[in-house]
Amino acid sequence: MSKKNKKIRLLLILFLFIAINLPAQGLQFSGYARSYTGILLNDASEFSILQNTFNLNIEDSRGNVAFKVNPYIYHYTNEDLQIGLREAYVDIFFDNMDLRLGKQQIIWGKADGVFITDIISPKNLSEFLLRDFEEIRMGITALKADYYFGNSGIELVWVPAFTPTQLAEETSLWGRSPKFESPIPGVSPTLIYDYSQKAVPASLENSEAFVKFSGVSSFIDYELMGGYIYDDDPSMHVNVDMSVDSNGVPQPALTLTPQHHRLSLVGGSTSMDIMGYVVRSELAYYSGKNFQVNETFQLGPMGMTFPSGLEEKDYLHYLIGLDFSLGSTKLSTQFIQEYVLDYDESIIQEEVSNMSTFLINRMFHNDLLTVQLFSYYDITNEDALIQPSVTYDLADGFEIVSGANIFLPGINNDYLAYFGYYDNNDMLYLKLKYSF
Amino acid sequence: MKTSTRLMIVLGVLMISSMSLTAQAKLSGTEIMQKVSDRADGDEMEGTLTMTLINSQGSERIREIKQYIKDFGTIEKKIMFFIRPADVKNTSFMNWSYDDETKADDQWIYLPALKKVKRISSDSSGDYFMGSDFTYDDLGDRKVKDDTHTLLRTETLEGLECYVVESVTKNDDYMYSKTVTWVVKDRWYGLKKEFYDEDEDYLKSLTLKNVEQINGFWIITGTEMKNTQKNHTTRMEFKGVKIDAGINESNFSERMMKRGL
Repeated sequence: MSKKNKKIRLLLILFLFIAINLPAQGLQFSGYARSYTGILLNDASEFSILQNTFNLNIEDSRGNVAFKVNPYIYHYTNEDLQIGLREAYVDIFFDNMDLRLGKQQIIWGKADGVFITDIISPKNLSEFLLRDFEEIRMGITALKADYYFGNSGIELVWVPAFTPTQLAEETSLWGRSPKFESPIPGVSPTLIYDYSQKAVPASLENSEAFVKFSGVSSFIDYELMGGYIYDDDPSMHVNVDMSVDSNGVPQPALTLTPQHHRLSLVGGSTSMDIMGYVVRSELAYYSGKNFQVNETFQLGPMGMTFPSGLEEKDYLHYLIGLDFSLGSTKLSTQFIQEYVLDYDESIIQEEVSNMSTFLINRMFHNDLLTVQLFSYYDITNEDALIQPSVTYDLADGFEIVSGANIFLPGINNDYLAYFGYYDNNDMLYLKLKYSF
Repeated sequence: MKTSTRLMIVLGVLMISSMSLTAQAKLSGTEIMQKVSDRADGDEMEGTLTMTLINSQGSERIREIKQYIKDFGTIEKKIMFFIRPADVKNTSFMNWSYDDETKADDQWIYLPALKKVKRISSDSSGDYFMGSDFTYDDLGDRKVKDDTHTLLRTETLEGLECYVVESVTKNDDYMYSKTVTWVVKDRWYGLKKEFYDEDEDYLKSLTLKNVEQINGFWIITGTEMKNTQKNHTTRMEFKGVKIDAGINESNFSERMMKRGL
C-alpha cells in the first residue's frame, strides 16, 4: 500500500471516529453526500464527470466561543481521493464585536454569480463555473474582525498569505491555453511555461488587507469596501525568441511566465426594494491592473503579433441587477460592464465588455419541484452559457437534480471567449444528494 | 338592607352585561376584525414552530423553525432560523413590518451556501411558505382596510359563541376572493377560517387546534390548514412559547442572521 493511500485510509478512519464518538459531546453535525454524473453531448458521449462527494460540517459553541470544521472528500473514478478542509475556524463573540480566525470563506457584494467586490476568497474554477457556489469559493486562512454599531458595522480582514484562484489543468476538459497562429505555413511558435514566479511567497510584506463598512436599513443595504491585494488574474510575462534554425526556417519560441501583481481597489454595493422590485448595484475601481498587449515581431519579411506585452491601466467593473416576481415565478437579471480606462488599442481586452445574466425560477407541488433556468450572455462576444435544471425533493433531505450546461458559440471562440471556448463541452448531468 | 343591596348589585351586573352584549351585537364586521387585529399578544414572542406537511397519500414532511418576534412600537421585527429539513438548516429570514400601512415590509434571507444576506422583495405575500399550505400573507398581519368586512351571523362552534365575518378583498388581483372567519366573542381570535380562490370556489380552511393563555394573553399554539383543492394539509405547532421574556434588539440584525442560533 502506498504512503498516500495509507494516509487517506487513516483520514477516513478519523472521520468515522469523529462521526461515531463525538455527538455525545454536544457537537453538531450536518453535511451532505452526493453522486454527480455528467455526460457530454458529443458523438462519443463521454462522461464529463463521475464524482462522489462527502461534505461534513462539525460545529460547536460554548458561551462566547464557537468553532466550525468543514472537511470534504471528492472521489473520481480512477483517481486518488481528494480530501481537504473547506473551512476550519474559531469564533470569539463580544458584545459589539466578533473575531474569526482560521480557514474561512468570506463573501462580499450583492452580485449573483459574478465576482466584483467578492474577491477575498479565491475561486475553484477547475470545473469552470459549474460547481455549486459553496464549492467554487475556496476557504482562505484569515483573521476577520467585525465591529457593530446599530445596524451598521466595520469589517477588517487580514489574509497573511495570498492564494490564487485555482484554474483547470490545461489538459482537462475545462483547461484553456492561448494558441498562436503563425502567418507562415508550417511554422507554429513553441510555448514554454515558466511557473517559477507564479507563487507569491508567504510573508508579512506579501499579505493582503481588506476593509468594509456596511449597513442595513429599511431604505437601502450598502457596502463600501477597499483592499490592498494581489491580482487574482496572473499577468503573463512573455519572452519572445525569434530565432531561425540552421535551414533558415523561423523557429519562434514564447516563454510564458505567469506572475501575480499588487493591486489596490475600492468599491461598494447597494440593494434596495422599490415598489416590489429589488434593485442591486455593485462597483469596483481597480488601480494599476496589468493588461496583456499585442506586440509585433519581424519574422523574415513578415510581421508576427504576440500578446507579449503588459500595460498598467485603471479599470472599472460594475453591475446593476433587478429581482422581481411575476406571480409565483421569480426573475432576476443583471447587466455587467468592464471598462478599461485610458484605453490603448494594443490591449487585447476590449475597452468596454458587456455581459448579462438572467434567472427564472419557479416552484411547484408545495415546493417539491423546482424548475430553473440561469444563463450568462456575453453581449460583446455574443457567446453564452445556458443552465436549465429541474430539482425534485424525493423526501426530506433527499433531492435529485437533472440539468444541462449548454455553451453557445460567439463571434470569436478562441481562448479569450469566456463561454464560446467550451462550445464542444455541452453536457447533461444528474445529481443525487442526501443532506443530513 | 343587605338583601336589597345584593339585589341592586346583581341587577347592576345584569344591566352592564346586557349593555355589553347589546354593544357587541351592534359591532360591525370591520369593528370585529379590527378587534382581532388589535388583540394584545405581548410585545415579544419566541418559540419553535413545527410544520407537518401531509400530502394526499398521507406521507409527511417536517419543517422546523425557531422564531423571535418583537414589537418596537411602529415597527415589528421578526427573525426565523430554519432547523429542519437538513438542506435548509442555518437558513435565516428576517422581516420588518411597519404600522404605516403605506409602507411595505422589508425582508432579508441568509443562505448559508452563499454565505450572504440578500434583500428580497416583500411582493411575494401570495407565495406559499416553505411548501406549506400557508402563504406568507396567511402568516402575517393582513391589514383590516384591505377587505370589506360583513358580519353574517353569530353561531356556536365547538361550544364557543362566534361572530361569522365575511371579508371580501378590495383588490381584484388578490389570491383570495373572500374569506369567512369564525371569531370567538370576547377573546377576539379566529376559531376557523375558510378561504375562497379568485374564482370564488372554496379553496382551503384553517382550523384552530390549540390555544393557550400565556402571561395572560391568548396565544394560538396549534392550527391546521387543509387545502381541499390540492388535497394537502399542513399542521402547525408552536412550542416553547415565551411571551415578553426579554429579547435583545440586536437579535434582529444581519449579524444574527449569519451567526444563527
